[in-house]
Amino acid sequence: MMCMKKIASLLCLIVSFCFSCQNKTGTEKPKVAVVISTLNNPWFVVLAESAVKDAEALGYEAKIFDSQNNPATESDNFENLISSGFDAILFNPTDADGSVVNILKAKEAGIPVFCMDREVNADDAATSQILSDNYAGCVSIGISFVRALKEKGNYVEIIGLVGDNNTWARSGGFHSVVDKFPGLKMVAQQSGDFDRNKAMEVLETLMQAHPDIDAVFCGNDAMAMGAYQALQAAGKADKVKVFGFDGASDVIEKIREKKIVATGMQYPKVMAKTAAQYAHEYFGGRRIFPQRVPVEVELVNAANVKDYE
Amino acid sequence: MNKIYRYIIAAVLVLFLGYKSIYFKKLSEVKQLDKSGFDYDAYADTLYNKGILSEDMGVGLDELMFMIQTKPDSAFSIYGNRLGIGNSAYFMVKGNGRISAVQDGSLKILTEKGESVTLDSKYIFGNDLRDASRLVKLTDFKTNAEFNKVSEALNTLVREKVIAPTVQRLREGDKISFMGALKLNRKHLSDIEFMIIPAQITLQ
Repeated sequence: MMCMKKIASLLCLIVSFCFSCQNKTGTEKPKVAVVISTLNNPWFVVLAESAVKDAEALGYEAKIFDSQNNPATESDNFENLISSGFDAILFNPTDADGSVVNILKAKEAGIPVFCMDREVNADDAATSQILSDNYAGCVSIGISFVRALKEKGNYVEIIGLVGDNNTWARSGGFHSVVDKFPGLKMVAQQSGDFDRNKAMEVLETLMQAHPDIDAVFCGNDAMAMGAYQALQAAGKADKVKVFGFDGASDVIEKIREKKIVATGMQYPKVMAKTAAQYAHEYFGGRRIFPQRVPVEVELVNAANVKDYE
Repeated sequence: MNKIYRYIIAAVLVLFLGYKSIYFKKLSEVKQLDKSGFDYDAYADTLYNKGILSEDMGVGLDELMFMIQTKPDSAFSIYGNRLGIGNSAYFMVKGNGRISAVQDGSLKILTEKGESVTLDSKYIFGNDLRDASRLVKLTDFKTNAEFNKVSEALNTLVREKVIAPTVQRLREGDKISFMGALKLNRKHLSDIEFMIIPAQITLQ
């Protein structure tokens, strides 16, 4: 008899545990995790905070997880949020290949993942990927670059993180134009990890070997600001033309002052809002989403900077 | 003595597993494999000759501009193509006109209705032609990088094999017909710059 009682209480315990792991009750808000590659870059802070704001405006609890540009930290973040019962993930990946396994873990746990800004190398892992059209944006910058240099000169390219698809989409778009003009010679291409200080150091070092450069193309605006700082310190800011990508406010200001030539305006708030809206629709029962949604990038230069106050 | 045998067996086992767990390939072979996976040049050739050059491709420039002024939303939804989110759309347009100037590889055209347009025959890059054609879907390719390679192959074909040889033969005053991609931004419809990326120029 005692044995039967023990078995019954054990069964009750198991059943109540199972129910506690089930979906939220009617009064509980679904939880949305915003997993961001790094919060060291102001651009990603805007992306993260916008995603949280949009998710909260739609009635959800939202929390930011910082992956610190480290796939291992990102993996820990996914483990934590899956075990903590989050219901959707708005995700900015650290690595095009390395992040796929994390998305698949969430998928296996029944959690939808909406990628923002950075594409992963799989078209069947994320629920949807909302991405800047980096390639087209950098084609426009490439044309602007060729015109500004009158098809002739030596230049340096400072690329972003080597494992990030955006790095190569931007570089690819730029080179699809610039490489067709034989008078333009790339004397060095080096990674600045999308980081302002690193880009500054990289350009300082490169200028020792190549003091005669005419332009620098940077894979993001943080690096463009770092490059501009290095040129300023070397007294070359007036001679060397700088190009960035992002549409960061400090670079827009520099374009207005004619100190930086051009950038590509990205729309992190649009990407965050679309991802939050998709999560909302997923909770409402929608299951079919476009795998990739490109978001237009607009060229900003001295001619149209007045439109980007 | 037994210990020595154990070490030898363990070493052989480690070497065997190590040998089986990695393999080396020449980088040139890997690159070749990637190239041979999909023939973008052949795809672009078919896209151009059987798609873009088909008779029903493109809207008359004058018709489009009238519609942009009177019913812009309809013009964008009927003739425009925007993949994803953004203010701009690409339109495949066609028209006739006379060359008023040849400047740095670009042709200034005065259309029959007196509109001034530029055929940018030098900077045929980007996704303008691919997207204006409305013939290639994003989902046709697995990644954006692959999707963009279609544009590169198409642009190379049009820029180097079609437009460059044609432009060399053209002179100021020549009467031509043209077809190409026009990018319009919904936010800036009052000051449209008629900059067309040409897909075809024919001397009349």
